[in-house]
Amino acid sequence: MWPRIHGAAVHFPIALVLLAFAFEAAGYLFPRLAGRLGLGAAGFWAMLAGAAGTVPAVVSGLVMTRGTVLGHDALRRHHLFAWPAFALIMGAAAWRLLHGASQVDRPPLGYVLAVGVAAVLVSAAGYWGGELIIGP
Amino acid sequence: MDLDSSPRFPLNPRARVAVAMLVSTVALGWAYGLSVSLRHRAAQASHQLATPEDWFDQASPRSAPLVAQGRAAFLSSCAHCHAADATGDEGPDLHGLEASDRYISNTILRGIKGEMPSFKKKLGAADVGKLTAYLRSLSPD
Repeated sequence: MWPRIHGAAVHFPIALVLLAFAFEAAGYLFPRLAGRLGLGAAGFWAMLAGAAGTVPAVVSGLVMTRGTVLGHDALRRHHLFAWPAFALIMGAAAWRLLHGASQVDRPPLGYVLAVGVAAVLVSAAGYWGGELIIGP
Repeated sequence: MDLDSSPRFPLNPRARVAVAMLVSTVALGWAYGLSVSLRHRAAQASHQLATPEDWFDQASPRSAPLVAQGRAAFLSSCAHCHAADATGDEGPDLHGLEASDRYISNTILRGIKGEMPSFKKKLGAADVGKLTAYLRSLSPD
C-alpha cells in the first residue's frame, strides 16, 4: 500500500515546484506580463502547495522504507536529491509566504534561482525514484 | 482577488532568509526524527511476536562458515528479489538492518502480507539461522 501512496504523492510536489519555477521565472523576465496574468500569485500558490505536497511524499516514503534515510544504489541516489530538494522547497516556500503574493514587489532573482534549483533537485529525485521501480 | 492585499509580514529581507533557513532545518530534523522513530518501532515490534527460540538462536554464533552457508541460502531463495549483493531490487536493501534476529526470522518465515512470500515451507530453522547470520554480516555501507 505505501509504495502506491508514495508513488501517487510524489507527483504533486514535482509538478507544483516545476510550475512555480515556470511562473516565477516568467514573472521575473516579463514583469508587465506578470501583473496582467497574475504570474506572481500563481507562483506563490504553486510553491506553497508544492511545499505542502512534500509532507505526504516524505511521510509515505519513510514509512515505505521503514525509516531509511539513505540506503544503497538507486535509493541512495534518490535520497541524495530528495533531501536537499525537501529542505530547499520548505525554505523557499517559507520565504515566499513571508514575501507575499504581491505583483508589484516581485521576488528577487535569488529566490527564482532557488526555486529553479529545487525544481531540478526534485526532478532528479523523481528520476531515481522511477529507476527504483522500473529499473535501468 | 486583489493580489496586493495578500498576506505580507513585516520582516526585513535578512530576517526572511533566516526564517527560511530555520524552516528548512526544522523540516529536515522532523524527517530525520520520523525515520528514527520508524526504525525504532520496527525493532520494537519484533519483540512482540511469539517465535520458537530455535528460529533465531541459530544465528547467534555468526561464524564465518555459518555466514557463508547463509550466503548460499540467500542466493538460492532471496537473491531474485533482493539482488545477489542484497542491495535490493524488487525487495528492499538488506544492509544494516536495524531489527532483532527474531524480527528477521519472523519476516523470513511468515513473509509480509502483499510484499513478500512466506518461506515457512521451504526453509527449516537451521536455514533461517544461517540466513539471519548472513544478513547480520551485511554492514550498512
